[in-house]
Amino acid sequence: MRRYLLAVAAVVLLASPLSAHHSTAMYQMDHPTTVTGTVKRFEWTNPHAFIYIDVKDEKGNSTEWEIELMSLNHLRSYGWVRTTVKPGDVITCTGGAAKSGAPSMISALLKLPDGRELRS
Amino acid sequence: MIGVAVAIGIALGAAQQAAPPAQPGESPYRIAGRLPVRIMSFDVQPKSIRPGEKVTLTWATENPQSISIDPIGRVAPRGTLTLTPSATTTYTLAVTGASNSADKRMVTVTVQGPTAVSATSASHLPKAVPRTADGHPDLSGVYGYGQAPGGRGGPPPAQPVLKPGAENFKIVRAADDTGQYSSCMPPGIPQSFFVPYYTQIVQAPKSVVIAHEYLNLHRIIPTDGRNHPPDPDPSWMGNAVGRWDGDTLVVDSIGYNDKTEINGYRHTESLHIVERFSRPDFNTLSYEATIQDPNVFAQPWIIRRNFPLLPEYDSLNEFVCENNRDYKPLFGNK
Repeated sequence: MRRYLLAVAAVVLLASPLSAHHSTAMYQMDHPTTVTGTVKRFEWTNPHAFIYIDVKDEKGNSTEWEIELMSLNHLRSYGWVRTTVKPGDVITCTGGAAKSGAPSMISALLKLPDGRELRS
Repeated sequence: MIGVAVAIGIALGAAQQAAPPAQPGESPYRIAGRLPVRIMSFDVQPKSIRPGEKVTLTWATENPQSISIDPIGRVAPRGTLTLTPSATTTYTLAVTGASNSADKRMVTVTVQGPTAVSATSASHLPKAVPRTADGHPDLSGVYGYGQAPGGRGGPPPAQPVLKPGAENFKIVRAADDTGQYSSCMPPGIPQSFFVPYYTQIVQAPKSVVIAHEYLNLHRIIPTDGRNHPPDPDPSWMGNAVGRWDGDTLVVDSIGYNDKTEINGYRHTESLHIVERFSRPDFNTLSYEATIQDPNVFAQPWIIRRNFPLLPEYDSLNEFVCENNRDYKPLFGNK
């Protein structure tokens, strides 16, 4: 629970100044990470939406990444709906990866299968 | 058949270019903030009607900063509207976005009849503040969040004057302290207005409901002239009563517990807040909170914010704190 709410704190920070450097401990926002994978499921929920994707390494091994997005009010304001991302879609997410090394990140920009880029 | 169906969808100056390239080490949010706007679709069906019949307007945009349909006004990034135009009308969807991007499309509904004339636009004209049957300004609506204290572009937050000996009520956080939003506990008043989630006001003749998307917090504030109950139980959101002072709703609240914080300061159960809500124009909710705690502050501390009306929304999103409880470890403690 504590971890989830750290993300709320992150959103509070991110939502106003969108600072390149912020004091939230969990994500590396100053060294963006880009991850491409196949969508397993999309959770269209507050406080945050989440996408879970399978990311394959060069050997073909698959790792599930947890992609945190902004809250629903932000996503709707960017043009999102709950069907914007669907299971099976291959998407590319750019954002900050967890400093812990866990396969988690918060995505700021997401590329859909047809090449459209959306704020996330 | 008198009229002839006319429907046009014209893309004017569509800006579909990619965002400017990222700079080394640049925040991904800054990169995303440059994505250009685009119109995905804009349509009306049917395109020809008889007087009194309905049409349905649908649209979808992505990465917008502003969206409006003339002659309707501000709309959500995606939506559907059922309309009954009385005359032939051309609807123009106009969007603007980052990197000076903009796009515009038009559709026309032909209303059959000998008196069909083009409707004139009034969406750019200032709208009057609505009033309820009893004459008060109607504050009802969904509002966006105000500028966070110290946030970009906003004035620096007003700082309180502490009573001598109350210095320890100022919260000093370590770098890894994640603050008051690190739990599912309510942030109280006025902080519930300062999170990046919307607020909805529903005004009734004898009460006003203020609902916050964040944590589903809400207050049902009586405006029927009653006073606070004697010695209310301390609570996260306090005990509030309201009254009208001219066109301003004044909400007096006591009965807070001492677990919340206000812009970086703790308080005691003697917290007393007077909030003043007004609607200086159609698009703005003006908010002023006067904070008093005789154990902490040497004088009343006033915090002001303006919250933008979001006429394109009519309700809040569901918020369930437990939705995100299965976060994966983010701090190396897998």
